[in-house]
Amino acid sequence: MTGRTRTRFAPARALVQALAYLVPSLLVFAVFVFYPLARNVQLSLYDTTPFGGLSRFAGAGNYAELLRSGEFLGSLRVTVLFAVYTVPAGLVLGLPLALLANRRMRGIAAFRTAYSFTIAVSIAAAALIWEWMFDPNVGILNYLLSLVHGPRIGWLTDPHWALPAVAATTVWQSLGFDVVVLLAALQGVPDELVEAARIDGSGQWAVFRHVVVPAISPALFFVGVVATLGVLQSFGQIHILTQGGPVGATNAIVYSIYRNAFFNFRFGLAAAQAMVLFVLVLAFTTLQFGVFERWVSYG
Amino acid sequence: MRVKVTRRRFLRAAGAAGLGAAAGRLRLPNVSAQTPVRIAFWHAMGGNLGDTVIRAFVNTFNASRKDIQVTAQFQGSYDDLINKLRASLGSSSVPAVSQVYDIGTRFMIDSKAVVPVQDFIDREKFDLTQFEPNILAYYRVGGRLYSMPFNTSTAILYYNKDMFKQAGLDPNRPPRTFDEIEASAAKLVRSGATRSGITIAIYGWFFEQLLARQGALYANNGNGRDAPATAVAYDHEEAGARILEWWARMIKSGVATNPGRPTAASQRAFAAGQTAMTMDSTAVVRSLLTQSGGRFQMGTGYFPKPPAAATGGSIVGGASAWILSGRPPVEQQAAWEFVKFISEPAQQAAWYVGTGYFPVRRDAYHEATAQQTLAQFPQFLTAISELRSSPINRATQGALLGVFPEARQKSEDAIEATVLGRKTPQQALADAARDVNQAIAVYNRTMGAK
Amino acid sequence: MTPASATRASEVAAAAAGRRPARARAVRRAAPRVGLGALMVAVALIVLFPLLFALSTSLKGGAEVNQYPPTLWPHSLDLGNYTAALQQAPLARFLLNSLIQSGAITLGQLLTASLAAFAFSFMEFPGRRWLFFLFLSTLMIPGEVTLIPNYLTVRSFGWLDTYPGLIAPYLATAFGTFLLRQFFLTIPRELADAARIDGASRRRFLWTIVVPLSRPALATLAIYAFLSSWNQYLWPLLVINSTEMRTVQIGLALLQSQEILSWSLVMAGVILIILPTVVLFVFGYRHVVRGLTAGAVKG
Repeated sequence: MTGRTRTRFAPARALVQALAYLVPSLLVFAVFVFYPLARNVQLSLYDTTPFGGLSRFAGAGNYAELLRSGEFLGSLRVTVLFAVYTVPAGLVLGLPLALLANRRMRGIAAFRTAYSFTIAVSIAAAALIWEWMFDPNVGILNYLLSLVHGPRIGWLTDPHWALPAVAATTVWQSLGFDVVVLLAALQGVPDELVEAARIDGSGQWAVFRHVVVPAISPALFFVGVVATLGVLQSFGQIHILTQGGPVGATNAIVYSIYRNAFFNFRFGLAAAQAMVLFVLVLAFTTLQFGVFERWVSYG
Repeated sequence: MRVKVTRRRFLRAAGAAGLGAAAGRLRLPNVSAQTPVRIAFWHAMGGNLGDTVIRAFVNTFNASRKDIQVTAQFQGSYDDLINKLRASLGSSSVPAVSQVYDIGTRFMIDSKAVVPVQDFIDREKFDLTQFEPNILAYYRVGGRLYSMPFNTSTAILYYNKDMFKQAGLDPNRPPRTFDEIEASAAKLVRSGATRSGITIAIYGWFFEQLLARQGALYANNGNGRDAPATAVAYDHEEAGARILEWWARMIKSGVATNPGRPTAASQRAFAAGQTAMTMDSTAVVRSLLTQSGGRFQMGTGYFPKPPAAATGGSIVGGASAWILSGRPPVEQQAAWEFVKFISEPAQQAAWYVGTGYFPVRRDAYHEATAQQTLAQFPQFLTAISELRSSPINRATQGALLGVFPEARQKSEDAIEATVLGRKTPQQALADAARDVNQAIAVYNRTMGAK
Repeated sequence: MTPASATRASEVAAAAAGRRPARARAVRRAAPRVGLGALMVAVALIVLFPLLFALSTSLKGGAEVNQYPPTLWPHSLDLGNYTAALQQAPLARFLLNSLIQSGAITLGQLLTASLAAFAFSFMEFPGRRWLFFLFLSTLMIPGEVTLIPNYLTVRSFGWLDTYPGLIAPYLATAFGTFLLRQFFLTIPRELADAARIDGASRRRFLWTIVVPLSRPALATLAIYAFLSSWNQYLWPLLVINSTEMRTVQIGLALLQSQEILSWSLVMAGVILIILPTVVLFVFGYRHVVRGLTAGAVKG
């Protein structure tokens, strides 16, 4: 809060003037965020017709059905597991690639382009490419496995492999974005810091661990957060690769809501699902704030 | 009421202000006398052939008529299509005519958003005598034909004759029963002819067909044809569990492989010579012949049944064309003209030889293209013989269920859980039945069906 | 929380971008260059393998694609899949739709977010904290919650299957507002005080001083907005019905059909669809990185 030099405008007039700048955003939020939130609460308390109309007040009926079916708890589990597979993997693979791309040598531009190439590949395209590679009979992955006498894996049909397979697709597709962000951060690490640490006699690893990582921690945090948000929105790859199967192994929360709302046309039930998710996200966000924010250093 | 209108008007105004609605496409129906009536036809016939054949139909039709112009719009899978359609009902984006799969029939009728083709048939005294009786039996509800059968199919068995020979099986006698399939598959694997005796996609339609092959009902109240169904029936009878037991047993003993749900995966496995047998719709005869690229001799046989089953038969699958009431009468009439056109012998024959879907009417077989193809590829005949040998009864007429898409999904869950060894057949079917019955209850309640 | 870290990430990165670090050259010189070079090439090939394999598949003719073992190189170059893919789907039209959608969303977000961020950073008015919190609260509401009601809203507007339906819900962004606000706050107050005379000159101040100064932050937001709307899958799937209104992602998924499937055809479609973004990326790489580094202009 700088500049406590006071305006001479009456508060009401100041508000009106400010609103002129805020109204475009507020209007969109009102129509497409706040109104839907309220509407969603309402939907979740009703039986709905297949056309989205309200049919009968159901009270907590939809919520009760959710907990009873077990499908919802399953989808929460899948979502958490999916985050466990994708978020760290993005960092663990993205950082080495960014480090390699951060080297200064002839032709490095080509490598930078290659390592961050998947930023140009949409998730739908990525999913189709990987679906083809995952083909159990004529796909390249099982063929490569067979060369080393590995088993033939039903990548998308075996409940143990399906989620890792979808996760691999996701990580590959987002790798390009991760590399770009991390590379940008690495290029921003002040040389003096690194030199100073070296003069102190620190080894390469120590420099990396104690100087570079803290310096780029905001970018690491950013990549992690974007990946976490991505998990909550992972739809395209699931829709294309597994449709939530087998036996619900990839039935992540967005997919489950989509199916209930737009396939089974149980809008009320899906709205209840979304409400529970909302509460969980709120809780998680608060938690994440507390844990991670402390670790990140904003020098 | 007043409040609602006001709010909606506010939102609309707000939206327009925020965006400049000019960017939106206007979709006003053009009904003036000089310009042709333009109608949209939604369909789910993707892939090289399906889409190409449909496009050819539309082009031929448009060229032959000055007064009507049809635009074909591919909407994805059958599931995607009905969901899109359901979402568009009551909005301005509803098409004049749409293909809807067999199991969407009950919902389409209940939606009250359609004009039964029976209305046009009665008005024009349209002649149905050439139509296959089994097909009409499926699509007639309460004696009325609501939609025009368009692409019809049954499920058949495909097998690799070369592998059969190699395993010492008779390549001209495909297995007909559950036991024969299991025995053949075992022999195929044991002989080293293949690693997979049979590959069956987890497709709920096969489950429905296998029930009907045993003469068993899928839903109560005469498969929902005597009165709206209130529950599924497969969890009480032996027929359902028998199918799952057989299926899971073959997977467990290693003679069958599980390609997951998409039939495309089992088709690829079969075409690539990775499995000796597969089950699929007759609609892919042409595609499998092409994809296999002449690498092996492909045989076709009837869909299996348990040895003892006597009263059973096949259900007509595929889809029909529906005329939507959300469009002005002039467009409805135009839709009817198009619907009539695609059911004509010439189109039905072209469709038949291009895909494998059999014609909805018998005189289509007299067309020269049909004759030629049948002479060259007898595989095209299997499905229609299978259908004609099926008695018409409640089981083979197929179930009518408003929540059939969801129900099919649940039966796929049940099959999957069983073949993956997660549940017993009985448990899996009971779980599926519980979920589906709940969905039926909600549907009947909210749609006001009794 | 996301915007905060994003901003800080870019700020930290910005702090040092533009320098040509000459760090630790000695160490790098000592490194076994050839081995590292080989490693870098290998890594690049692994990262790009799915794309190369898709390219190879797209050139395979009819039955070759289902051959086992799969061939790495096509026996004969068959461009038939490309013509077939183009014939089967109006890919150019899909690209145009995506361009319109993503372009409009990007421009819209830049506009609404600049206005709102300006109010939050340069204006004093009653309820400012409260309104800012209201903005941020939209970040806590997952898209799943608003999905169903928004669909019903857009349908009641008659916006199904139109550009407004695709675009309108995404015209405001709390994330972007936050991002820009953080940046605006770094602009010296004195500039603002000097310019703060009346409403008209305030507007001029925004457009002639703040916006040009904030180009890096605006570029970051633009790239982020463009990429995320380009990759949208679920929303276009719901609101678009007709072939000619489809975006690339949905159009692509339609090449994958229910009963008949030719991988070579699908891969041809994939290659065609990613081509524009790949070209954009390869030629715009510098700008992408600069945008995400958001650096060099300040001070």
